[in-house]
Amino acid sequence: MPTDPYDLVEKAIDEGQKLEADYIEARLVSTNANTSILKNGVPELGGIIRSKGIGIRVLKDGGVGFASFNEMTKDEMNIAVAFATKMAEASGKRREKKILFSEEDIHEAKFQAIGKSGKRPLEVNPEEKINRLMDIDKLLAELKTDAIIPFRFFQMNDQTIEKYILTNEGAKIESEIDLIQLFGIIVAVNPTTGSKEQLMVQKGKAGGFESLDYWNIEDYLVKEATTLGKIVTESKEAPTGTIDYVVGPNVIGIMCHENTGHPSEADRILGREGAQAGESYLNEEMIGEKIGSEHVTIIDDPTLEGSYGYYLYDDEGVKASPRYLHRKGVFDEMLHNRESAAFMGTNSTAAARAIGFNREPIPRMANTYLEPGNFEFDELIEDVKLGVLMHNFTEWNIDDRRYQSKYVGLEAYLIENGEVKHLVRRPVVETTTPKLWGSVDAVAKKDLLEFDAATCGKGDPMQGAPVYHGGSFMRIRNVEVR
Amino acid sequence: MPEKVNIKKIVQATVDKLVTLGFDDHSILAERSNTSQIRFADNQITIVKNWASLELAVFAVKDNKTVVIQLENLSDDIINSSLESLKILANSLPPNQNYLGISDGPFSYPTIDNMFDSEFLDFHDKALDNVQAAINAAEAEGAKRSAGVLLWEAKENKLVSSKGAVASENTSRFEFSIRSFVDAKSSGASVEVGRLSSKVDFERAGMEAGKIAKMSIGGQNGKPGKYNVVLSPKVAADIVAASPGAANPFMVEIGLSWLKDKIGENIAPEFVTVYDDALLPNGLGSRSFDEEGHPTGRNIIVENGILKGFIHNTSTARKAGTTSTGNAGLVMPQNSNIYFEPGEHSFEEILEISKDKPTLYITNNWYTRFTSYADGIFSTIPRDGMFLIENGQISKPVRELRISDNMNTIFKNIKALGKDIKQIKSWEVATPTYIPHVLLEDINISSATS
Repeated sequence: MPTDPYDLVEKAIDEGQKLEADYIEARLVSTNANTSILKNGVPELGGIIRSKGIGIRVLKDGGVGFASFNEMTKDEMNIAVAFATKMAEASGKRREKKILFSEEDIHEAKFQAIGKSGKRPLEVNPEEKINRLMDIDKLLAELKTDAIIPFRFFQMNDQTIEKYILTNEGAKIESEIDLIQLFGIIVAVNPTTGSKEQLMVQKGKAGGFESLDYWNIEDYLVKEATTLGKIVTESKEAPTGTIDYVVGPNVIGIMCHENTGHPSEADRILGREGAQAGESYLNEEMIGEKIGSEHVTIIDDPTLEGSYGYYLYDDEGVKASPRYLHRKGVFDEMLHNRESAAFMGTNSTAAARAIGFNREPIPRMANTYLEPGNFEFDELIEDVKLGVLMHNFTEWNIDDRRYQSKYVGLEAYLIENGEVKHLVRRPVVETTTPKLWGSVDAVAKKDLLEFDAATCGKGDPMQGAPVYHGGSFMRIRNVEVR
Repeated sequence: MPEKVNIKKIVQATVDKLVTLGFDDHSILAERSNTSQIRFADNQITIVKNWASLELAVFAVKDNKTVVIQLENLSDDIINSSLESLKILANSLPPNQNYLGISDGPFSYPTIDNMFDSEFLDFHDKALDNVQAAINAAEAEGAKRSAGVLLWEAKENKLVSSKGAVASENTSRFEFSIRSFVDAKSSGASVEVGRLSSKVDFERAGMEAGKIAKMSIGGQNGKPGKYNVVLSPKVAADIVAASPGAANPFMVEIGLSWLKDKIGENIAPEFVTVYDDALLPNGLGSRSFDEEGHPTGRNIIVENGILKGFIHNTSTARKAGTTSTGNAGLVMPQNSNIYFEPGEHSFEEILEISKDKPTLYITNNWYTRFTSYADGIFSTIPRDGMFLIENGQISKPVRELRISDNMNTIFKNIKALGKDIKQIKSWEVATPTYIPHVLLEDINISSATS
């Protein structure tokens, strides 16, 4: 007989205690999601996803076991708890260095981030969703530019995620989050030369369909597509040599995420992700070491209201607060869950996130950004003799120790003698993390702070986590460009 | 035995409800799987996991409006209410002009050998020992610590369609990856995968990872420039197999393929022939039917260097004036296994062929990203052991380089294929790929400026 899933969560804790688990957590996750796909103006697909399951994690004898199930019966629950406990024991016995979880305050709490009334994912008529996408596509298809836009793909996803987490220590966390996401691919082509440029769009936010208006989504996409057309028809060769870069929120955001967020994940530093996402150029002994200039303060804050990576308590029940990964250029804090924190003799920084009932909580970023500085935008530009203003990027990658990165500009302009001039094509920043942050000599004010949404990949099986990243504008001096 | 939801009953109830709701076409796939995983790092087990999962995927059509539903919540009331929501969703959509039907059955299906491991249940007791054997093998080669993952799964599925397809399959899979380190920068990696545990050589993987890690000790930063590159099967499966992987009409239509309008063109040297082959025994992508219930097969993508065709579902095939290749996924055509016909050369012969040009041997990579998919412009980062080849021999380890080139160039500049074909599926390579060592000519290598 199917059993009430909330009862199963509670019974799982009891069952784990009977089996003498040192720690057991049971996490019920219910996801209601909808999707609409539009391909070159044609409604390719409407989709519905409904998921509900329970994940059980056990610490016993210095080992960890995890099991999940989605057939809501007492038998399935008992099997999962027994498996997780048995595997924790079996693996723990083989470990020389026992796994422990850090001691943390215990919380009972509820939090939510939901859309405005009438605008929540399940409240909006599917017809309204697809019509909005089709209207957006029509705007782009009929756009008057010197380029054509033959490839247009949009996917709009909305979801409501409800979680109920219990631990044998007494933590009890309930949450309800609405997320909305718009993913798009737009390719502009120069009809004369065949030259192409792509824009990958990803907008995301905690909330409902009011987010589309918050983003001014139609104006935003028309502006971006118009610029894309100009890039393939008007842009000139990017400068080389030793030049300065002024980069915008989109570029700062990805740099904060890749060059600082990932290497600050404590499980990577401990080697736990060694075979997949890799390790880190940072290590425990480098806490307090100078990585960048005094202008570089990089914060990861899960508590930003309305953000794509929003939460108030993590998936181990630890209360979240802003993490200062770099403070005035110094490596200050790591992203910890309770396991990594115990290994390093410190406390969790509430970074444990699991994407789905069938995934384990591991240290993740939430909303990572460069703290704004005191400069006006014009001040960043005015004393640049030769440089590039890079608003956003296309290709990027970084080695798995997060040391050697590459960012290719999309909307980018020549800066010459303190003036922003014409578009330049695909300027490249290919440099190391310390060189990048060490060369920042100015950061713009808070009124230019913006965030982008992204899906951060990590773990095995892959866990795609919703995150924000951003900043205002910053200037990077003396970047060598070949 | 624990009570289980009956898959057949769920599928039948779904069919009945879809008919009642007035849907015209449908394809329903129900899957029950049991998956276990061991993760390890620093030579020790970090976690052991198990997922018991029951899922239902439905593709349905009403008045040419196409909708899908994916359920991991299979109580009767959720199935009913979700399908009713699906009808509301279908009614709210405009017709999909790209939908041209699903495949007409009934069908008979091919039999594929080595799809399910008869000793699967016994493997649970051997799993920890197999992981330990790989770690020990890496240590014996000189590695100080190893990290990795072993995953094993048993799955049963059942599919029915409104066009008479009725199919089911039982499969198993085993995926093992190991990455070994001598120090933070000296590392090597290996994978072993298959549908039978007897085909997964854990010790070989450990030995390879440990050996490469030891060989990469003391590597210095390499110099950017044009190189010939020898790619391990792991790297080749990512960036050489990317081109046959881009032979997908859905990807072409959204600007994510560099093969638009290239059917019939010479895109590789004459000795390159590639299939999408769903019938390979032990192949992780092997399957006897696709998600429309159409029988799968062996479809040529590149023959003697010429792009011969794309993979298709029924709708994309009819639009292109051809027939389905049995590659339907829920949303778009999906590869089964990408299979490269092996070449004639041993690894040593490949090094010898390239002895007169600056040459790199790249054993692993990650983070492949594109400036322009439609043009094929990309870069990717070597990870783990990378070596300079001099006089046809591995001479010294190098580091901190990046392949920054074009997928069209990569495929066109294949200089030689090894005869040592290997099945690859990894964190970086989602489509199971059978590919040997590959020699590429004149590839652009970049590096950080400081």
